[in-house]
Amino acid sequence: MTIQQRRRTLIQGASALAAGALFAPAFVRAQANAPIKLGTLTPLTGAGGPYGPVMANTVKAVVDTVNAAGGVRGRRVELVSEDDQTNPEAGVRAARKLIDVDKVSAIMGTWASSVTTAVAPLCWESKTFLCTVSGADSITQLPHQGYLVRTQPNTTLQGRKFGEFALELGAKRVFYMSPQTPFTQSVFANIKAALEKGGATAELLIYDDKKPSLRTEVDQALRFRPDLIFMGGYAPDTTVLVKDVFRANFRGKLLTLGYAVNQRVAEANPEATEGVYTMAPSPAEGSGAFKRVAEIVKNANPDPYSCQVYDHVSMVLMAIAQGRDSSGAAIRENIRKVSQGGGRAVDNAVDGIRAIVAGEKVDYNGASGPCDFTDIGDILDCKFRYEQARKGKIELIRVA
Amino acid sequence: MIDALVQALINGVIAGTILAVPAIGFSAIFAVLNYPNFTIGSLAAAGAYAGYLANTQLGWPLALALGAAFAGAAVVGVAHEWAAVRPLQKAGALIMAIASLAGGIVVENLLRFAFGNEQRGYELPLARDIVFAEVYRIGPQQMKNFAMALGIMAAIWAFLRWTRTGRSMRAVADNRDLARLRGIDPERVAVVTVAVGAGLAGFGGMLIGLDTTLEPFMGQRLLLSIFAAAVLGGLGSIPGAVAGALLIGVVEEVSVLFINPAYKSAVAFAAILLVLTFRPAGLFGTRQG
Repeated sequence: MTIQQRRRTLIQGASALAAGALFAPAFVRAQANAPIKLGTLTPLTGAGGPYGPVMANTVKAVVDTVNAAGGVRGRRVELVSEDDQTNPEAGVRAARKLIDVDKVSAIMGTWASSVTTAVAPLCWESKTFLCTVSGADSITQLPHQGYLVRTQPNTTLQGRKFGEFALELGAKRVFYMSPQTPFTQSVFANIKAALEKGGATAELLIYDDKKPSLRTEVDQALRFRPDLIFMGGYAPDTTVLVKDVFRANFRGKLLTLGYAVNQRVAEANPEATEGVYTMAPSPAEGSGAFKRVAEIVKNANPDPYSCQVYDHVSMVLMAIAQGRDSSGAAIRENIRKVSQGGGRAVDNAVDGIRAIVAGEKVDYNGASGPCDFTDIGDILDCKFRYEQARKGKIELIRVA
Repeated sequence: MIDALVQALINGVIAGTILAVPAIGFSAIFAVLNYPNFTIGSLAAAGAYAGYLANTQLGWPLALALGAAFAGAAVVGVAHEWAAVRPLQKAGALIMAIASLAGGIVVENLLRFAFGNEQRGYELPLARDIVFAEVYRIGPQQMKNFAMALGIMAAIWAFLRWTRTGRSMRAVADNRDLARLRGIDPERVAVVTVAVGAGLAGFGGMLIGLDTTLEPFMGQRLLLSIFAAAVLGGLGSIPGAVAGALLIGVVEEVSVLFINPAYKSAVAFAAILLVLTFRPAGLFGTRQG
């Protein structure tokens, strides 16, 4: 290399360095002001179809409100909504898109336990935070490294409550009918334990939820001579089942989940659903956050999943504000700092972010409940809503 | 146990008879056009919704609404054939089958767009089952559906046997070139076959909807059973489709008594595997080539 060449190289290198030094702060600044990207993965179709669209709109409304109030520490929030079709394969495809293409730092609202179970590993491997409304016990037992919380009570708690309610209805012989789901076995085990404690017995039949008729399965159930049939499926198969139970002249009691015989199912099948009892984890009715969800969804009685997903997005945004960082890892580190442990009680993201920016400790009280989590991501406390279908309407019995 | 078995057989024969209606449609289309039309499930759903509109919006009685289901599915089936499958005719049967699979997804999503995701039902009182011989039971609607399925099958049999168009369809299915030499227009026969096949799917879809419920994805539930019935009976054979559907219906119901439903698909496929091992062309099929 000649002296001239060496000098040229030196000058080029120095210029490059100078240019780098000149543009570096702008680059860092751009990163700091880059929009925060969040995703919803709700069932817009399939068995969860009645809930997913409302859930996605609820998250959008919260994001719009936060953006209108100046974003999170000056950063705008961008939301990408995908459809999991209540189907694990479709859920995984959509999650891959959210993580790899959209590069979201949190995914919120996965509904069916099978979808959440399939999507969770993608999230923890990519350090994307996952908030879910799925109930299967197995979900929080996954090795998720803290990248997951859920606002739905787990199936151990739900199963025990179902069993206790069946006993309260006077059941001595309970037949549990359900399609194969990640929570079928654990719900049944917990129902059975609660029933046996009260001197009752239980039997399980798993059916294929794709069958257009469940007559033979109902015959199997009736051979057990049950005084209560618990229907553990989703709305499409439960509609088929409840009709076949009616046709079979079953005169005992029927108990199911709130999403399986919901208002629409009861309205469409008033005869078959007459007298069916339903149970669902109850939102925190009367709380400030609950009222805000009611306003967003324009329904005085918003469903539990819209309430839960409202809490997801509120907590995630506050955790980002708390950590001054929008990465999934920062959300993991900070979500419990804004949701529990005392401090100023807040019920929405805008107030929470404002308080955090002002240096205050906040404790979020959500629309679905207090939103306090165990180390593995389960909620500590939840109420249940007991209802009954009467003449095509779902009527409240009590919240306890 | 015998009671349970007999009851499962009754349920299976009825379910199989109803399943036979769209299976005949599938087999007829295969016989004349030489490709498996996987839109058949979505066409069943389209027919069920056409019948739903006629029944709930126009107030037509169920028998007339079944006609609307047939006609509605026939129109959708022919439109789908022209738009999605026919332009790919030269690419071969596999590409046509894939196009029909894609077309089925489009039809389903159009139904979702038009009717929403929620479940719907016909204006039909829900009746308790009739108990006979003390232990067996059968639903009044089940019996009516059974009778209507038999009726449409008889009508199709008569149509194929005694009408000129029906005979043309059989001729084209048998030997396309020979039929053309006899002055039969295979293109016209193809359109009629698709219309009749799709119409049968729609009719069957409404019969299933009458006993259960309507939702845009109901076709997906049916597609595998229809396909299994047609393969089992021998693709392209109408009596084969009926026998295959009866066998699938009975196997699906009786297996509930013995096998965990999680393995149901395995049972259906094991049945297909078993039959095809001994009769590669299906129960009633004939070897080609």
